[in-house]
Amino acid sequence: MKKLISLVLALVMLAGVAAVGEGFAASYDITVWVAEEIKELTAQQIEAFNSSNQYGIKFNATIEAVSEAVAADNMVNDVEAGGDIFCFPQDQFARLVKAGALSKLGVAASEKVTAENAAGVVAAAKSGDSLYAYPLTADNGYFLFYDKSVIPEEDIDSLEALIADCEAAQKYFAFEMQTSSWYLASFFFGTGCVSEWTTDDAGTFISVRDTFNSPEGLIAVKGMEKLVKSPFHLSSSKADSFESNAAVVVTGIWDYELAKQILGDNLGVSDLPSFTVDGEEYHIGSFNGCKLMGVKPSNDAYRQAALHFLAQYLTGEECQMQRFNAKSWGPSNLVAQASEEVQANPGLAALLKQAPYSVPQGQIHGSWWGIAQVIADDVKLATDEAGLQAALDNYQAKIEELFTLDNTALLFVGAWNGWNNADTDKTYYLASKGDGTYALTFDVPESGYMGGRVVNPGSWDTDKGFAQVTEGADLIQDLGADNPDNNIVFAAPGNYTITWDGEAFSIVKN
Amino acid sequence: MSDVKVQKAMKQHMGLTASRRISNTAIYIVLTVMSVIWLIPFICIVLQSFRVESTWQVGYVIPRQWGWNNYVNLANTDFWRWYTNTFVLAILTAILQTVIVLCMSYTLSRFRFKMRKPLMKFMLVLGLFPGMMTMIILYRVLADLGLTQKNSIPGLLLVYVASSGMGYYVSKGFFDTISKSLDEAARVDGANRFKVLVKIILPLSKPIVIYTVLTAFMGPWGDFVFARYISMGTSAGKNVAVGMYDWLSQDQIGKNYTMFCAGGVLVALPVTILFLFLQRYYVEGITGGAVKG
Repeated sequence: MKKLISLVLALVMLAGVAAVGEGFAASYDITVWVAEEIKELTAQQIEAFNSSNQYGIKFNATIEAVSEAVAADNMVNDVEAGGDIFCFPQDQFARLVKAGALSKLGVAASEKVTAENAAGVVAAAKSGDSLYAYPLTADNGYFLFYDKSVIPEEDIDSLEALIADCEAAQKYFAFEMQTSSWYLASFFFGTGCVSEWTTDDAGTFISVRDTFNSPEGLIAVKGMEKLVKSPFHLSSSKADSFESNAAVVVTGIWDYELAKQILGDNLGVSDLPSFTVDGEEYHIGSFNGCKLMGVKPSNDAYRQAALHFLAQYLTGEECQMQRFNAKSWGPSNLVAQASEEVQANPGLAALLKQAPYSVPQGQIHGSWWGIAQVIADDVKLATDEAGLQAALDNYQAKIEELFTLDNTALLFVGAWNGWNNADTDKTYYLASKGDGTYALTFDVPESGYMGGRVVNPGSWDTDKGFAQVTEGADLIQDLGADNPDNNIVFAAPGNYTITWDGEAFSIVKN
Repeated sequence: MSDVKVQKAMKQHMGLTASRRISNTAIYIVLTVMSVIWLIPFICIVLQSFRVESTWQVGYVIPRQWGWNNYVNLANTDFWRWYTNTFVLAILTAILQTVIVLCMSYTLSRFRFKMRKPLMKFMLVLGLFPGMMTMIILYRVLADLGLTQKNSIPGLLLVYVASSGMGYYVSKGFFDTISKSLDEAARVDGANRFKVLVKIILPLSKPIVIYTVLTAFMGPWGDFVFARYISMGTSAGKNVAVGMYDWLSQDQIGKNYTMFCAGGVLVALPVTILFLFLQRYYVEGITGGAVKG
């Protein structure tokens, strides 16, 4: 009898194994969000996947036109209602990871994606050490579009000559400065400044290395000054500016078709020019961004794995080439990038010419865009070098604010005050001890989760907690990945004193 | 009348007409200038919608080549689907909301029941909260009922109609101005309450009925924020404003700008026609209800 049972059990187990192998072979109803212009192409590509994949997966896909920028907003609003596969610009990446809208790539897929795509693009899809998305394009950069009938060929390498040509012809030089940090940063990258942000596994920004306020930064704003103080500078990045009297427009590959229609054979494209400060030449840099494709997390492991196979296929060399041929989307796949057709496309060629001076757009704090944007206005108003320096000082102060707790009001928000971060009652405020340290003695009541962190009242942005505890670590729990909010979670109820010295906490039990 | 008197009267008369003429001319000039300023954007949109030589924004107003292409191209998009969505939604909202509002106003104007005053005050206070505040919770409720995305049209209808009872002020004010003795006479003749409303009150309140229909129609016709939120990620559930907004995104505006203008003209048409014909009642409706609160 025992033998029989064990035989039956063994058979059941085998059946289980077999089921794993065939688990993917099913038909799935899915929703895919892509940009309007590749809607049909994507439908064909999914058909091709259905008929060619080795796992027997069939997708019954509803394809909706949702532009990349909107897709990210929608996903954050309601992940559950979002598309199973969706595309987004890389600047939305950290936000999506934080919202739990992206599922992690498996080890094999990560290795394949890393090996096959440009390094900068892979970095853009990484949070901590893990990949969360598939690179779709690598063409989100900008370069120089100009009207050949106004700008002579030999002037396109010099910013000063371009400005002079535009002023002489009474035509505009369109380069977005006052209205977009994405374009504005180009001058800083040209002189070697960096703004590198670090996120942890949960998508939270933890530190920045920013050198905009430096001697090189000052050179950059001197170059920028030449442009923004010209009466013929226009802060725009739209190719239709050519219709309204512009001779030069700095924009990206998405505007190539439109510019070609407006200017016809007079359209010229090239990398960005150089500017000269104190006899030294600096080639204007640029951001080099990409679009990514993400897979929404799902409870059904087979379904999720099948979706990952599809996303991997859709972002592979073949599909990227199809998108390039149909809509000139610049591929991120290294083999596709090297192909003759891609090399021969004038817009992409200009982008590739600009590539050595470009900086891969990694993860950037959402507030940075607003903070940096102010520089152009400040530069335009500055009358001397001190004014330019003040613009940079102002910028740096605001960047530092992002990661600094304002010591004038420190609230230990948590379970003990009902997580009310706008608490005006001073019970849980850290009080200054007069020597640069701040302390609070309070009772931690017994509860299921005895956690909290220190914030400035009314804000969650600049919180400090578990990671900053240097003394008294034995009194609190180390929850690891279960503590994405960096909370200090006490191991036991009691009366504690917590002291903050501006950089670290020490916790003592009384 | 003596000659002198006649002359004096004539002089006065002429002086009057002359001064009236001057003031009239001044008024007309001001009005003309204002209407030109107001109309310019609309005229521009109409002109742009007939421009066929290019599809992006340009620096001139008068098209160099005229044609219907932009209107024809609308058929290749989901535009007519969105248009139908919006139209059905607006018509249904107009009907349901009008019925609810008129019944509500009649009840509050003619009936005397316990808690009538507190109820009115309660609705007044409720109405003071900004509707935007409820957006997220409404989204959650509709999502759980399955009335978002593809099914957002019935969902939106529910939202538009659900709170319409609270918009009774203007029509109640109007009903209050109609003499109660009319009701009483009808009641004596054997009419029930409903008959009084239908046969006596409504025929006397044409302006307010039309005003109610118009405002009820306009709400869904121009809604954007909430409609966008609950129809996310699906083309089928969009209204026309939400659908067309996507044509203005960075990657589409170059291709779709003139088509967007054509769509805009078509959206403006029903509302314009409605207003042209019902304008008279609309003004009467607003001012009529203001006599007594």
